[in-house]
Amino acid sequence: MSEKALGDYIITVKDVYKTFPGGIAAVKDFSTDIRRSEVLVIMGPSGSGKSTLLRCLNGLEERDSGSIVVDGIPLDQNKKNRLEIRKEVGMVFQSFNLFPHLTVADNVNLAQMRVRKKSKDEAMLMTRDMLTKVGILNKIDAYPAQLSGGQQQRVAIARALAMMPKVMLFDEPTSALDPEMINEVLDVMKNLAREGMTMVVVTHEMGFAREVSDWVIFMDEGQIVETGTAEHFFTSPQEERTKLFLSQIL
Amino acid sequence: MNTIERVVPAPRKHFFLLRSPARDIFQFVLLVAILVWLLLLGASRSGYKWEWYRVPRYILGVVEGRLTAGPLLQGLSLTLRISGISLVLAFVIGLVTALLRLSDSLVGRAVARAYLETIRNTPMLVQLFVIYFILGPILGIERFLSAVMALSLFEGAYASEVFRAGIISIHKGQWQASYSLGLSAVDTYRFVILPQAIRRILPPLTSQAVSLIKDSSLVSMVSLTDLTLQAGIVVSETFLPFEIWFTTAGLYLVVTVTLSTVVNRMEQRFRIVG
Repeated sequence: MSEKALGDYIITVKDVYKTFPGGIAAVKDFSTDIRRSEVLVIMGPSGSGKSTLLRCLNGLEERDSGSIVVDGIPLDQNKKNRLEIRKEVGMVFQSFNLFPHLTVADNVNLAQMRVRKKSKDEAMLMTRDMLTKVGILNKIDAYPAQLSGGQQQRVAIARALAMMPKVMLFDEPTSALDPEMINEVLDVMKNLAREGMTMVVVTHEMGFAREVSDWVIFMDEGQIVETGTAEHFFTSPQEERTKLFLSQIL
Repeated sequence: MNTIERVVPAPRKHFFLLRSPARDIFQFVLLVAILVWLLLLGASRSGYKWEWYRVPRYILGVVEGRLTAGPLLQGLSLTLRISGISLVLAFVIGLVTALLRLSDSLVGRAVARAYLETIRNTPMLVQLFVIYFILGPILGIERFLSAVMALSLFEGAYASEVFRAGIISIHKGQWQASYSLGLSAVDTYRFVILPQAIRRILPPLTSQAVSLIKDSSLVSMVSLTDLTLQAGIVVSETFLPFEIWFTTAGLYLVVTVTLSTVVNRMEQRFRIVG
């Protein structure tokens, strides 16, 4: 457990269900509360509903029932609320999803200018700041395809951060990376965690979980199986499914 | 080392000749020569007398000491105007139809679908006649506008399929990334999806444009003096069917090949890096 002060609840998830067409339940009866400045790691086997849950948190995925409130704004059918929440919640994807037709600078500028209504000059200031933060300012004029996977993912983090989000969601941010590039991305994320960013991270990087996470949720078949600190999962996991999973990834 | 050198033969000199464009050009010239020879042979057997020298005045003429466009160039000018306007409209109609078909609106999807099926399952000439002879008098649309409407509605239906294919070919991660940044659906289309989709569909969109220019010759059926109708008139005045129709085909070819070349250049210029 880190020793930073934790704030009030910024995300409240209550009784969320999500079933995909075809009747496969992705998320079942999921409830959890996330505090400001907290780092939550979600683990679980593939197909356990982690990514679906994460996508429900910013409305990329439509849930069937249950409620989600982010920073006091209910995520509901109201389009305004949805856009408002997306402004406050940044997301980083497994496959980076940079815009290939835009330079690094324009990737980071776009939402600042269209959503935050900044001028190009204002946006550029923030863009340079954020690219410096992720250590990739020298690639500001490059196109995504000219970057390595690790570099692309760092640009994607900068792009999300430039919106000054209150929460950052990470969907397996290092799973698509070559091993030698994983650390450059994890380092950026660790710094972010230490600065007090609220983070929900779907990952299997136990080292990351141990170093910066406040707590860990282990999910299987759309449900919470076990929660606890990273240390708890290392030393004394209770459930059989958790033990089995950990024995496979550690 | 020695053995290897013996096994791999050194590239022969004519190897480069075989791969150079000279070979393609030679083949093309040969093909054209054969075709022309066959044509001349056929013409001379049927007793056709070539009078190419009479053709230029129908393209460019000198009236009262000034260079004036002959009937063929005048026709070409009308063809270009009709095609140009229809092209813009067809692409607008195509894009809107594609967006409607991909929208959440049930009515929007139904309207788009009905339009597509009607247009694609009836001949364009019939559509032109319906617009010109039926809608025209009722709505008070004149000839030129009827032709533009018929052409753009017809080609728009096909263009919409091209747009739709281009849009759905963009990876869903692009939508997710854009939405996760708080961009609206309109901004997502405008700044993220369409710029990528249009780059991808430039080649099929160009062939759609070429089709439109070719199909524009149908407007001669409602007595619009486009290139085709002008050519028909000139032929009936001069009895030079071979020369005039070849010239006409050549003029269409110049327009369409120019268009393809320009788009090709554009495509290379705007290609996504990587």
